[in-house]
Amino acid sequence: MTSLLGGIFLGWSLGANDAANVFGTAVSSRMIRFWTAAILAASFVLAGALLGGQSGIETLKGLTRFTYNQAIIASIAAACTVTIMTLFGLPVSTSQAVVGAILGVGILNRQLNFAGLGKVVVCWVGTPVGGMVLAIIVYKLLAAVANSMNLNIFQSDILLRLCLIIAGSYGAYALGANNVANVTAVFVGAGMLSASAAALIGGLSIGLGILTFSRKVMETIGQKLVRLDPFSALAVVLAQAITVHIYALVGVPVSTSQAVIGAVLGVGIIKGVNTIQRRTLIHIFLAWFLTPFVASVCALSLDFARHLRYIPG
Amino acid sequence: MFKFLFKKERQVQELIFKYLDNLKKTQEHFEQAMGCYFDFGLGENCDFLIAQTHKFESRADDIRNDIIEMMYSKVLIPESRGDIFRLLESIDLIPNHFEAVLFMIQSQKIKIPDFIVPDLKEFMRVSLECCDLVIRQVEAYFKKTEDIKALVSTIDSHESRCDHMERKIVSKIFDADMDPFEKMQLKELVVQMGEIADQADRVSRSVYIINIKRRV
Repeated sequence: MTSLLGGIFLGWSLGANDAANVFGTAVSSRMIRFWTAAILAASFVLAGALLGGQSGIETLKGLTRFTYNQAIIASIAAACTVTIMTLFGLPVSTSQAVVGAILGVGILNRQLNFAGLGKVVVCWVGTPVGGMVLAIIVYKLLAAVANSMNLNIFQSDILLRLCLIIAGSYGAYALGANNVANVTAVFVGAGMLSASAAALIGGLSIGLGILTFSRKVMETIGQKLVRLDPFSALAVVLAQAITVHIYALVGVPVSTSQAVIGAVLGVGIIKGVNTIQRRTLIHIFLAWFLTPFVASVCALSLDFARHLRYIPG
Repeated sequence: MFKFLFKKERQVQELIFKYLDNLKKTQEHFEQAMGCYFDFGLGENCDFLIAQTHKFESRADDIRNDIIEMMYSKVLIPESRGDIFRLLESIDLIPNHFEAVLFMIQSQKIKIPDFIVPDLKEFMRVSLECCDLVIRQVEAYFKKTEDIKALVSTIDSHESRCDHMERKIVSKIFDADMDPFEKMQLKELVVQMGEIADQADRVSRSVYIINIKRRV
């Protein structure tokens, strides 16, 4: 169990960071209270991890061969990277951190599955673009439905909140199904856990992170990029949930951060590009590029530190 | 299906309807007080009706405070709360204007010259019709019973008519052979009465904006 602490730590930081991508827009636009969002997200993440998380685990464990120690190093390196970025309040990609750490381990092993890695990297690009396109489609569809309903202030308020709760729960399910591989796939690769045990432990640790440490990033999303009105918040949550769920079905763990930022940008395009705060966006892009690099360096450094020997003088 | 989840929202909505019913009663008493004043001048009967109008106006304030208190106990999203809060503040100025007109008459012992009584009666009738329409519009918005856009234009045309009548009455006052102080006093009263239709028009526009704001 002690050897899984790195994975649990990673899951915790993923939950702390990525719950914002599911319920952050709703919480920051004050449609849903933080604790309602956190409890729903934690529950549905666990359900998603258990019911749909195994195909992603298969993909990540096939990127390289792991030894027992390398699995622990990879998970600790990824967790440290995500935690550092979270402390800066940036919606960082856990998938990038994990793949960066696996890359570091692959460099050490001089063995990497480039086909698998290429597929994952292509999906990194496809995720924000997919999020953006889906957000535009979802926004227009929902707008057409909402306008045809002719609701009063109470009815539209109630309907929006219900839809945000449902879309957020669906997003949390997709997050669990897609991202649990980031947390525990390395341990499955090292033969330490079965896929279903990995899904359970991963889901529980992500849920713990959501409940204990997700508030700061939840407030970052939506407020720092675009001032989201409640309706836009719904379109963003739904678009990112669909994007992430599609990748969960394909079996490629992707970044919910990238999906949500793509979706927020999509809504920004519909509502006028001026609503986007470019400086924050630049910081987030920087974090995206830095994350795999930092995670690789972390993994290499941890492996180097593990091999240091004390020689009495 | 999810009605049990949004009990407080329904309570706020019920309180808004209660507030509107109370506004109708305030208006009824104001109308009776003005009728009594036009026909018989100030007296015991008129004082009673003024006191009744004040009573219902105070009750409206109490209901409005209950609505605000309930809304800020985490009912509705902040944006919706703000919209309803501003709408109530705006509606609440209508009974305030009723009260201001009556207190002006009562405290300044204003005497209306016979030559403007028919004009003032007509002015009052159209102003109060604006209020009836605005209450109907607010109810229509919450109950979705009729097209509020059509009501906006009807209220707007009534308000324009009131403005026209207001100017006509003020001109008549200043054309008359009267004490200048009385002229100023009457002008002030007419302007204060004109505020009723103006405020009804503002409320009507607020309701319309709240409605279109929720279109995406």
